[in-house]
Amino acid sequence: MVKLTLRSAAMAVTAAAMSISLAACGSGGPSSASASSDSATMWGLTGGNQPVLQKSIDAWNKAHPDESIKLDFFANDAYKTKVRTAVGAGQGPTFIYGWGGGVLKSYVDAGQVADLSDFIASNPDVKSRYLPSVLKNGVIDGKTYALPNNNVQPVVLYFNKDVFDKIGAQAPKTWDDLMALVPKFKAAGIAPFSLGGQSKWPDLMWLEYLVERIGGPEVFANIAANKPNAWSDPAVKEALTKIQDLVDAGGFVNGFSSIAADSNADQALLYTGKAAMILQGGWIYQSMKTDAADFVKNGKLGFTAFPSVSGGKGDPANIVGNPSNFWSISSKATDSQKKAALDYVKSGMFTDADTQALIDSGAVPVTTGIESKLAASPDKDFLSYLYGMAKNAPTFTLSWDQALSPAQGDAMLANLDQIFLKKISPDQFVSTMNATIGK
Amino acid sequence: MASTTQIPVPPATRVAPSSKPSKQGRGRGRARPNFLGGLGGWLWLAVIIVPIYYVVVTSLKNQAGFFTSNPMLPPAEPTLDNYKLVLENDFAMYFVNSLLVTVGSVVPALLVSFMAAYAIVRGKSRFLGWTNKLFLLGLAIPLHATIIPIYWMITKAHLYDTLLALILPSIAFAIPISVLILSNFMRDVPNELFESMRLDGCSDWAMMWRLALPMTRPAVVTVGIYNALGVWNGFLFPLILTQSPSTRVLPLSLWTFQGEFSVNIPAVLASVVLATLPLLVIYVVARRQLISGLTAGFSK
Amino acid sequence: MSVSSASSRRVLERGPSGWLAAPALFFFLLFAIIPLAGVFFLSFTKWDGLGEIKLDGFSSWTTVLTDPVTGNALWVTAKIMFFSFIVQAPISLLLGVFTSASQKYRAVLAVLYFVPLLLSSAAVAIAYKALLDPNFGLGPGLGIPFLAQDWLGNSDLVLFVVVFVIAWQFVPFHTLIYQGGVRQIPASLYEAAQIDGAGRVQQFFAITLPQLKYTIITSSTLMVVGSLAYFDLVFVLTGGGPGYSTRLLPLHMYLTGFKANDMGAASALGVILVVIGLALALILQRLGGKNRNASQLEGA
Repeated sequence: MVKLTLRSAAMAVTAAAMSISLAACGSGGPSSASASSDSATMWGLTGGNQPVLQKSIDAWNKAHPDESIKLDFFANDAYKTKVRTAVGAGQGPTFIYGWGGGVLKSYVDAGQVADLSDFIASNPDVKSRYLPSVLKNGVIDGKTYALPNNNVQPVVLYFNKDVFDKIGAQAPKTWDDLMALVPKFKAAGIAPFSLGGQSKWPDLMWLEYLVERIGGPEVFANIAANKPNAWSDPAVKEALTKIQDLVDAGGFVNGFSSIAADSNADQALLYTGKAAMILQGGWIYQSMKTDAADFVKNGKLGFTAFPSVSGGKGDPANIVGNPSNFWSISSKATDSQKKAALDYVKSGMFTDADTQALIDSGAVPVTTGIESKLAASPDKDFLSYLYGMAKNAPTFTLSWDQALSPAQGDAMLANLDQIFLKKISPDQFVSTMNATIGK
Repeated sequence: MASTTQIPVPPATRVAPSSKPSKQGRGRGRARPNFLGGLGGWLWLAVIIVPIYYVVVTSLKNQAGFFTSNPMLPPAEPTLDNYKLVLENDFAMYFVNSLLVTVGSVVPALLVSFMAAYAIVRGKSRFLGWTNKLFLLGLAIPLHATIIPIYWMITKAHLYDTLLALILPSIAFAIPISVLILSNFMRDVPNELFESMRLDGCSDWAMMWRLALPMTRPAVVTVGIYNALGVWNGFLFPLILTQSPSTRVLPLSLWTFQGEFSVNIPAVLASVVLATLPLLVIYVVARRQLISGLTAGFSK
Repeated sequence: MSVSSASSRRVLERGPSGWLAAPALFFFLLFAIIPLAGVFFLSFTKWDGLGEIKLDGFSSWTTVLTDPVTGNALWVTAKIMFFSFIVQAPISLLLGVFTSASQKYRAVLAVLYFVPLLLSSAAVAIAYKALLDPNFGLGPGLGIPFLAQDWLGNSDLVLFVVVFVIAWQFVPFHTLIYQGGVRQIPASLYEAAQIDGAGRVQQFFAITLPQLKYTIITSSTLMVVGSLAYFDLVFVLTGGGPGYSTRLLPLHMYLTGFKANDMGAASALGVILVVIGLALALILQRLGGKNRNASQLEGA
């Protein structure tokens, strides 16, 4: 009896599974149907640029069925976790999505990504379509290993105009302004700043900008160059102290360290009016445009540069963030995969339709000659602002976690988290990080 | 009273603990209502139910409703859109992957463990004693600590990102506990039965399937359920040993949905509900067997 | 062993062939023992997961042993182990006793108690992440400000939250073990006690607890050794944060190996994990050693 019931249950499950699997075979999406085992593979990130990339690849696959590309999407954190293991296993995608910097260098050192210098040299059109300042982020030791693939993403200070109006405040121009706003918002029951602290990298934006404003771009340049004790620069300590001051003042939303930026919960606090400001990448404009369309359309979203710090050495026009994302081509890909990949880079990327789609999504493509298109966009205020910001910045420092080696980057994020939680002092941070130099 | 020493329980009751409550429970229960116990019981029920209730209720809300409505109240207009969204995102494929990996791991693990347990209990060679000790060692070691070499081996064997990469180590990791439980039960099978079969000229093979298997069926069920739960819900192997959506299993898909649906918490929670649903169905259909099966092996 | 069985064994001479154990042994050697040796080997190398594996002497060990994060991970692991045990053991014991009784409502409650068994760690973690959100979760839902704390972001609270969620997930399993254990206690013992006029509490301490000795050992062993494997739950729930406050040893190993890409150091951490597991198992086996002998003797 017992046996019978169990067995029939098992059979029911198996039967159900079979029918589901059959159904799944029948209803494969268009991209998987056309992809053969030797198709080039591409991993993109979910979020603002996902539909743009999907559209670009769909168009490519339609026009080039013999050189089709199989596209999969991963969330940011999941991607960073998975891609390296996959590349290490020799099964990475043909197109490796990246940020340039130390992570790219580690791929180059391991011989995992193809040298694209010759390709660039023989295709001047490809080279000339990019803003030169962005293109150079894919160059290591004079050779090009990665090409920009989307939009400029400087870190911007966003604010909710409604709540600013409510307490009659202005966007902060200096650090002192910013600190003065904190008690005002708190008194009104609004968190001054939203922060996706669980994802850790949003914390870093604060450190990046403060160090930049206080000490200028050389401070991090020295750290990235692995100069001994580079973290001991007084600007780092001052920046960390300012962060802890802001934490002490209650500047960040209650529970910031359990808010994940990957889930966009940090932006949600801004547009639902629970927080007044957020320091985040240019890309969150794109997701707010979809998640909070009315908020963005009605001009409730304000944006400004990170405030200056009195006595600071850094040019207030300097910016930090991601100059762009990049495609590298796996050196382990088969010849036909590589050919398809390069053909796509040459004529499938940044087509007029692509560029327009990026702009429509609320992003500034990294290509030249787009001013008129930006001006025609309904998002022109933000886009022109971002474009000007990127174009006029004397220095555009790459996000530190990407600029450093993975081991250093990981230690830095974990220790910075401790700074925000006030578990360690700025001095402890500095000495711990000095010990990671060269790793 | 307190000096009561351990009373050997007759093997029969231990081999097949019945699913019906035993007599002493009834006797005690009738004494006088246990208010304190009842209170604790209801309290724990709340602890168990509230999160489940929250997950189910939230999964029926739309995204706007999630941000604006009271999190603990049922939605004014329940929607199944979230479930639709999850199902459209290859959920069925992940389900089938999970099923393949679970069946592919548990069946071979049971088979080889059963044979090993039989040999260990019935055999006397030094080799078998040594094998048994090795398996016992495997119980003590957190085998997940070996994930880096396993990753390396799987990579070198060109099995990375295949379902086999999940199946092979899962079989190995299931062996120690399976052999332990199975051999404990096999020791309870009266020796005389084996002897009489042996005298009838039966081979070890025949004795294994015709005597040992029926006699240890509860243990086999226990081991099967225990391992199946472990593999079905496993996360570390899929996280490290697979990457593409076509080899993704359910627990990993939950994690990736969490990233992909981002702020759409109701959809994320709908994926949690859907991933649990198959086991819930089995639980509802075969609860007695599941529970008594799990108990049989561990209450030894 | 009875006399008859000993004499018949002599007749049988060899017992079943050791080959029956070979398939299990093969899997276990290949995917457990060889990786175990591999993790020792890799701890003396430098490998970033991408390039070549290079012998590197003790440098990974120096890194790991001088890194305060390692000490912290050990401390976090010890705390989670300790608190998980003192939370889970009494609750599961009491619930086991509670559900073993025969009242109808208790049986119904038990059905619901076991539901968490069906959820994967990833599912549990995702559900709790949403539930504990200070802005959109349980706290604002019930309107109880106390519950709207920053549960996962406050480094003083988060450890206890993790302990609670672990308990939520694993208490059902241990309840099941205890339920099975209680049901095997002969009713006659309680009847005798009742005649002697012993109350409920007295019966619990004089009969139930001593009778459950071996169940307690089994469950405790699984709890303690199992706490070395709480990887997936914590990985999805907190990622080890905030800061390092929930970065327990297995998670630290994973993050060192697969996020910071220092496979050498991660392997050294793996070795530490293995050693701790072995040490714990030896200690627990000493405590429970009688158990195995007893069950083997009873088998004859």
